[in-house]
Amino acid sequence: MLNLNEMNDEKLKAMWSKAEKLAGASGYESPSIEQFISGRSNDSAQKIKNMIIFDIVLKALVLAVLVVDFVLFWGTFNVMVVTAAGTVMLIPLLFYQKKLLTRFILTADNGQTTRDKLASMLTYLKTRFFTTLLLVAVTYLFGFIAGSLAYFYTAYGYVRQLDGVDVIVFISFIFIGILFNFLVNRAQVNYHIKHLEACLSDLNENSLALVSENIELQRKHDRLSKFLLAMVFVVGLIMLVLVFKSAGYLMR
Amino acid sequence: MKNNAKVQQSTKKEFSERISEHQGIIHKVTMIYADSPADREDLFQEICLQLWRSYARFRGEAKFSTWMYRVALNTAISNVRKNKNKPGHEFLNENVQLSDEGQSDLDQVRLLFRAVAALNRIDKAIILLWLDEKSYDEIATIMGTSKSNVSVKLVRIKRRLEALIKEAEKHE
Repeated sequence: MLNLNEMNDEKLKAMWSKAEKLAGASGYESPSIEQFISGRSNDSAQKIKNMIIFDIVLKALVLAVLVVDFVLFWGTFNVMVVTAAGTVMLIPLLFYQKKLLTRFILTADNGQTTRDKLASMLTYLKTRFFTTLLLVAVTYLFGFIAGSLAYFYTAYGYVRQLDGVDVIVFISFIFIGILFNFLVNRAQVNYHIKHLEACLSDLNENSLALVSENIELQRKHDRLSKFLLAMVFVVGLIMLVLVFKSAGYLMR
Repeated sequence: MKNNAKVQQSTKKEFSERISEHQGIIHKVTMIYADSPADREDLFQEICLQLWRSYARFRGEAKFSTWMYRVALNTAISNVRKNKNKPGHEFLNENVQLSDEGQSDLDQVRLLFRAVAALNRIDKAIILLWLDEKSYDEIATIMGTSKSNVSVKLVRIKRRLEALIKEAEKHE
């Protein structure tokens, strides 16, 4: 057994040097390592990155469907206006999200010092990520409109007349979808935030205070973009109401 | 296009050779942060992947080993997979035959690891770097903190390790 009275730095280091041999760590040749680097990552930063990439792909698909809807409903003015407006709103959102992705990749760079990496991830998740979550959730609205229009075309060949109950059901589905999407993703991000805060506080209590200052500064800069995003969201909802309302005027 | 693929392939090969040469660093990090051989293997692969992804941004400003430690520790620290509530560290390679002396070494190592496992993720990183003979300056550079903070923390960590080992010994 280890005699604590004799324990000193050298003893600890000696114990450590024995550990590697006893753990039976296997040696890897470079071909094995080449295989590892083609693998998939479970890293939290990578998961968040994948979430953003997946949403960009989804938005691009929705954009394509909106363009197809525009062509399919050629001559039906109200639907054409809605699809065109949807397309016009989605394109800048896509570019903005691409910009956010690039920023996040730089933020999550593992080559930084531990403190910088933790601080930049935390600042990003506490400020920029609200916008990202909103952008991801809003995809559901566009997807619902594009999908519904495509469905109407294949099922009826036109946008069928909707009654009040239909409109309420559709809008409820959209709200629940957006809310669910937002809350689930936010819960995951909050879990990561707590973990990062704990690590940063363990590293140096002053680091957390510094991050708080950075976050406040970043939040001030972000207020305008959040306002613009909220406007896009509201306009999207108004458009949805309009498309359902206008369905009443549309003829076969 | 073809040229790009060739360059990428040769970079991958060069990278794999460098990592293979310094893989002891990754093994040490996985020993501290993962409990079972399977988890260690997973973390090893994860670190290799993150090293490859960050390799393009490695400009040689720091020593390769310092950069490797930085990426490996950042990956291990930010890896928030849930603890599977394993009873403790599974160190022993089942195929290793131990002499009496070997058994005693194993007991000591087991005590050390049990104590280290009780530390938080940041303290684990600092003690690992110290055990691996890194200077206070290097530890401060990797962790992004001051030398004095490292020094203060190390005193606390070693004291805590001592207490944890003492407690573990009582239970043995």
